[in-house]
Amino acid sequence: MPDSERSKRQPTFDTLEREKLFKFPPKQGSSYKILNEFVAPHIESFNALFDDSGLPSGDGKGKGLLSLGLDDMGERVIFDGTGQTAGTWGNRMRIWIESVSISRPMVPDKNKYVKDRKVFPAEARERLASYRGKMSIKLCWTDPQGQRQDVTRDCGLVPIMVRSVRCNLRSMSSADMVKHHEEAEEFGGYFVINGNERLIRYLILPRRNHVISLLRPSFTNRGPSYTQYAVQIRCVRPDQTSCTNTLHYLSNGSAMFRFSWRKQEYVIPIMLILKALVGASDKEIFEGIMMQDYDNTFLTGRVELLLRSYKQFTMRTGEQALEYLGDKFRVVLGMADDMSNSAIGALLIRKLILVHIENPREKYRMLLFMLRKLYSVVNGTCCADNPDSPQHQEVLLPGQLYGMIIKERLEEILNSIRTFINIDIRNGNTVDFNDKRYFAKVLTRINFDIGSKLSNFLATGNLVSPSGLDLQQASGFTIVAEKLNWQRYISHFRCIHRGAFFAELKTTTVRKLLPEAWGFLCPVHTPDGSPCGLLNHLARTCRIVTAPLAVAHIPALLAKHGMSEPFNACIDGRTNLCVQLDGHVIGWATPAVARQLATSLRIWKTEGKNEIPMDLEIGMVPPSMGGQYPGLFLFSSRSRMMRPVKYLANGRDDSIGPFEQVYMDIACTPEEIESEVSTHVEHNPTNFLSILANLTPFSDFNQSPRNIYQCQMGKQTMGTPSTALKHRTDNKLYRLQSGQSPVVRPALHNTYAMDAFPNGTNAIVALRKSGEPTLHFGLGPEIKPHAKGEKRDSCLDFLDLDGLPYIGTKLRSGDPIAAYVDDVTRRTKFVKYKGDEEALVDEVRLLGEDTGDVELQKIHITLRITRSPVIGDKFSSRHGQKGVCSQKWPAVDMPFSESGMQPDVIINPHAFPSRMTIGMLVESMAGKAGAMHGLAQDATPFKAVEAAGYNYYGNEPMYSGITGEEFAADIYLGVVYYQRLRHMVLDKFQVRTTGPVDPVTRQPVKGRKRAGGIRFGEMERDALIAHGTSYLLQDRLMNCSDYSTAWDISLGEVFTGTSISRKPTGPGGEYCRICRAAAEQEDELERQALATGQHLQRPQASLSVAISSQNVLGRSLKGGDLDVVAVPYVFRYLCAELASMGIAVSLEIQ
Amino acid sequence: MNDPILRIRKYERDRVNFVLENVDMAFANSLRRVMMADLPTVAIDIVEIQANTTVLPDEFISHRLGMIPLVSSNCDVAMRYTRDCNCFENCAFCSIILVLNVKCHDSTTMDVTSNHLEVVPHEDQGMEEAGEEQVKRIEKFGSPVGKNEPGVEPILICKIRKGQELKLKCIVKKGIAKEHAKWSPCSAVSFEYDPHNKLRHTSYWFETDERAEWPLGENAAEEEAPREGEPFDFNAKPSKFYFDVETDGSLGAQEVVMKVRIIVSFLSF
Repeated sequence: MPDSERSKRQPTFDTLEREKLFKFPPKQGSSYKILNEFVAPHIESFNALFDDSGLPSGDGKGKGLLSLGLDDMGERVIFDGTGQTAGTWGNRMRIWIESVSISRPMVPDKNKYVKDRKVFPAEARERLASYRGKMSIKLCWTDPQGQRQDVTRDCGLVPIMVRSVRCNLRSMSSADMVKHHEEAEEFGGYFVINGNERLIRYLILPRRNHVISLLRPSFTNRGPSYTQYAVQIRCVRPDQTSCTNTLHYLSNGSAMFRFSWRKQEYVIPIMLILKALVGASDKEIFEGIMMQDYDNTFLTGRVELLLRSYKQFTMRTGEQALEYLGDKFRVVLGMADDMSNSAIGALLIRKLILVHIENPREKYRMLLFMLRKLYSVVNGTCCADNPDSPQHQEVLLPGQLYGMIIKERLEEILNSIRTFINIDIRNGNTVDFNDKRYFAKVLTRINFDIGSKLSNFLATGNLVSPSGLDLQQASGFTIVAEKLNWQRYISHFRCIHRGAFFAELKTTTVRKLLPEAWGFLCPVHTPDGSPCGLLNHLARTCRIVTAPLAVAHIPALLAKHGMSEPFNACIDGRTNLCVQLDGHVIGWATPAVARQLATSLRIWKTEGKNEIPMDLEIGMVPPSMGGQYPGLFLFSSRSRMMRPVKYLANGRDDSIGPFEQVYMDIACTPEEIESEVSTHVEHNPTNFLSILANLTPFSDFNQSPRNIYQCQMGKQTMGTPSTALKHRTDNKLYRLQSGQSPVVRPALHNTYAMDAFPNGTNAIVALRKSGEPTLHFGLGPEIKPHAKGEKRDSCLDFLDLDGLPYIGTKLRSGDPIAAYVDDVTRRTKFVKYKGDEEALVDEVRLLGEDTGDVELQKIHITLRITRSPVIGDKFSSRHGQKGVCSQKWPAVDMPFSESGMQPDVIINPHAFPSRMTIGMLVESMAGKAGAMHGLAQDATPFKAVEAAGYNYYGNEPMYSGITGEEFAADIYLGVVYYQRLRHMVLDKFQVRTTGPVDPVTRQPVKGRKRAGGIRFGEMERDALIAHGTSYLLQDRLMNCSDYSTAWDISLGEVFTGTSISRKPTGPGGEYCRICRAAAEQEDELERQALATGQHLQRPQASLSVAISSQNVLGRSLKGGDLDVVAVPYVFRYLCAELASMGIAVSLEIQ
Repeated sequence: MNDPILRIRKYERDRVNFVLENVDMAFANSLRRVMMADLPTVAIDIVEIQANTTVLPDEFISHRLGMIPLVSSNCDVAMRYTRDCNCFENCAFCSIILVLNVKCHDSTTMDVTSNHLEVVPHEDQGMEEAGEEQVKRIEKFGSPVGKNEPGVEPILICKIRKGQELKLKCIVKKGIAKEHAKWSPCSAVSFEYDPHNKLRHTSYWFETDERAEWPLGENAAEEEAPREGEPFDFNAKPSKFYFDVETDGSLGAQEVVMKVRIIVSFLSF
């Protein structure tokens, strides 16, 4: 192949390029930019908490979520109860939080020695500390004169997301990152908690601000006349907290509005809310729902019933309705005493009903829309929406959840201040609002430590919340970002969970792979087993919108292009579709106009005209017979999934979401485009796969489950977890010493820096029948460093005079790792190495404290254990073909080809027909060609396999290594990239002859760690019985378990036939207390009977058990009258337990 | 049977291609196995690390050192096995000492290679009179193959940067590849017989045309192609074997061939 052609080939190994990047990381930007892109939702959602987030401001003023949360929280009002006359409440105090600030992680001021006060994540990791920044709030209150006072309170140390706007690594280049002991490719997105990297997992939530219709039979259990029909909307406030509202259809035609407040559910008749919102007249409501569709008797009937049902309340005006609501909810909401009922009613509506809308009139319009949709579902003119479909889903982003927790904690602070003051008033303590010291005293009783609450949340994943945050689960929000290898690590940041609640569901419908998920959730990358289909991974190109968009001008723009304004009263509901933007009704349009508007919007947004943002989702649902409820639904909110495709109408790049995708025709490749049908085309046919699924070579040739398995196995591979290994403190770190770059690789292998973290080796594979897949490794590291011969026993062979071990010391079980002087006993104590394997001391860290004024408190020692491959270790190719190394052969015994080539792996051809991993065969052929020509081979799925460099079939004659004879069949030899999985026999094997036993039953304990046994259960016992292997049975269940011996008194007669004494004794004078007592009693009775001449009565045992006579070991050699009998010790225990219940067991030997 | 014939077709310093005729297959294969696993060489067996501040751990460097080929000419007589030697631990008769002591003072990365390994005389040399073993050793015996020779790339052991140091002492011992592959003088041995498959030991899988799909190797020219319709001689045995031996340089092709000749003449009686 000429050199010019060679250089054009893609992908290449890029060895020099990669080496250059590694040696000289870029001083500006990062070496692999795409890595920063795929964690962007984590980091940007966290940044959004702050006012200086760096995100575009959209329609708002660019305030951070925390500031918006403070706005929403408002103020609390307290009265000191010193009112002179009845009916007044006394002095009034308002308290509110004015601002929240979180600083970057810094060394505390107490430390006077440090020069650079910045703390970097590497330090937190190495010191097993948390990466936290100080949080403080400005708390304001008014004194009775109305003067504003303020105080700044410290809220503890809050964990900071690495590489976020509050992280000291923010916007550092790769070169700086390496200087600060990070990976050059470090992308952040996680928190460091006690040295562990933890991240908040994406969670699927119902799509915000969109009404979905539900059909759930369980709704009928909510009360009399409830039906299975309802519509639901998850409304989101500007600070990203949410409130779900549900509208239930009742069989009497009316509807009930449901919401929850502090985990308690409340239901209000919808008419009450409609009245309270705008004081609408009955006619207005009737017209608003009917929308001139007077012929629809179904609708007229229901609306009439709805209006009639309200008559019982006898409230006519909006004010009356508000007062009624305020009266009922005064206690629940816990607002200021001096608020009027109607003010509380208005507050209820503002805080809990359609919270995404500010304006009551707009809320009213939205409620009417919900009613219309509800009636239409009941009527059957539209179908119920599927809440499991990504069309109606969005993502809970880490930063948003974090912000919600902080907001709720701040609210708790305000509430608890009020509670404490009220308690003081009730207890008659002096409450003086004029006295600053009194307020300060109250504050000392409040727990301001939000930081520890957040640390606890991140460390455990448990959410402690009085309101539940409108989420369905309270635990399992966070996971550890395990750095087992690069593939596993990056997968954590792309995984998305359906919710812990769904894991318990017995139905499997939620786990189903729906066509709507195409391009957003990877169909291949999901674990098999219990989390299957619930734990998904985002497709490679799927993005999550994190920035607010500027869309305020869109309603006017649409109105200019033919949309009717929403306040227009004479809209015909039969011919007009509702136009909504983020859950606001912005107008009405006929289907034709709506379609036109949708097309125009798409052209504008792809061409950048009229300032339509690219991430606007334009969901045009056309009218249908009993399909989805029609309308033009626009979404500009955050946390939606979006993905890039090409718009065919103008050839521009388009960004589409799962809601609109359902109504599009997207061709996978340009060849598939059908004119007049296709609207879009994919940029790349593999974009629907996740990063890991994209890395399986030739995955389009494999049977689909095998690709699923490979996604799991890729994550269990021992590879190169990190290049900053010296600065890592993971509990267990697996490292492959000689990783290779695969010959056969998809183009994305280079894109995602996979070669920077190699995961396996290119093995020469022969397909040949010889038992299980066999792996052969010629050279093992068998050289002994420090082999001196003599036994080391002095602790100074291991430890230096400072009590710390020498680096490189070889440790065996029981050797000292460290020594220290116990301050109490003044004696030297040793810490011993407890593992069974030989370990080498790799690194010793001395860990100090934050303040730096005390001597070191902890030492941290890294041990290195070498594990060359042994029989029983698990290996796999990249096609879900795992296997266990079953034999290692010397090189001379291995078969070889004519060129002297010996395979590394011999795999049985039976591994293929049933598993159908043709991709592996293609890989081995491509690998062979690539290895022969020194080329990297492209293995991107759905790409035509290039014929270049192909041998014909790649078969070769082979010779036996033992006899030198040619094999009867020619054998296929190829090159396949093999991964070594982390499951190794040395961690798994369990052997026991004798060992620790349970103190109660004297049976072997369980557990590999404790040298226990493996349970030989009932089914195993049945198997041995079926085999008739009685000796083995005896061995397992008796001899190797709880064998014990006991004295037996009754046998003498049975076996010897000689009568023995009434009072048998053992060789050491042992006797049975019961028998002896019975015998003595009997003697006594006999004596009495002799004296009195009465008949003798003997007591009977209540339970009798027979033991086989085979258990009798015979008379003790030392003499005596007692026999020795073997019994299981648990049986004795059972007898003792029975005896404690008053049941005597008597034994009989047959 | 006629006397065995050994015909060398191609001979280079570390590679030899020869044809062996008039021998049994068992004999030919034994030869192959002997060349791979039974010819004694010397290799680093024990490493005493005095200082290692490189990025590679001790045992990893030790492993790499073990696999460096060392000049082992005349090894079978020039060296004793430690197990056969009457010394206490190891001595000048049964071991060679190599030292490596490198420290980087430049600001660029430095390669530590096999060229840095130096043979030093045994500490107890001169205590006894020089045995016959030492006399038979050539000058470079025990030093890395190709050390300081022009045109030969030294073998990389590790890379060090400024301030890093590697100081160690290696004890070289004699052994065979049955114990550990590092003692094998051969990197690959190719072996072929019956290039036309006249004996039908194997069956070639083909789709349409066997001859078109299975190109003949270069050894096919050595033998007569089967004539069309020639009857199959089921009693025929292979007697002509084609070898290509590539060594790692520790013994050199000439010496391998010499030993092969000795073994051939020894066994053919």
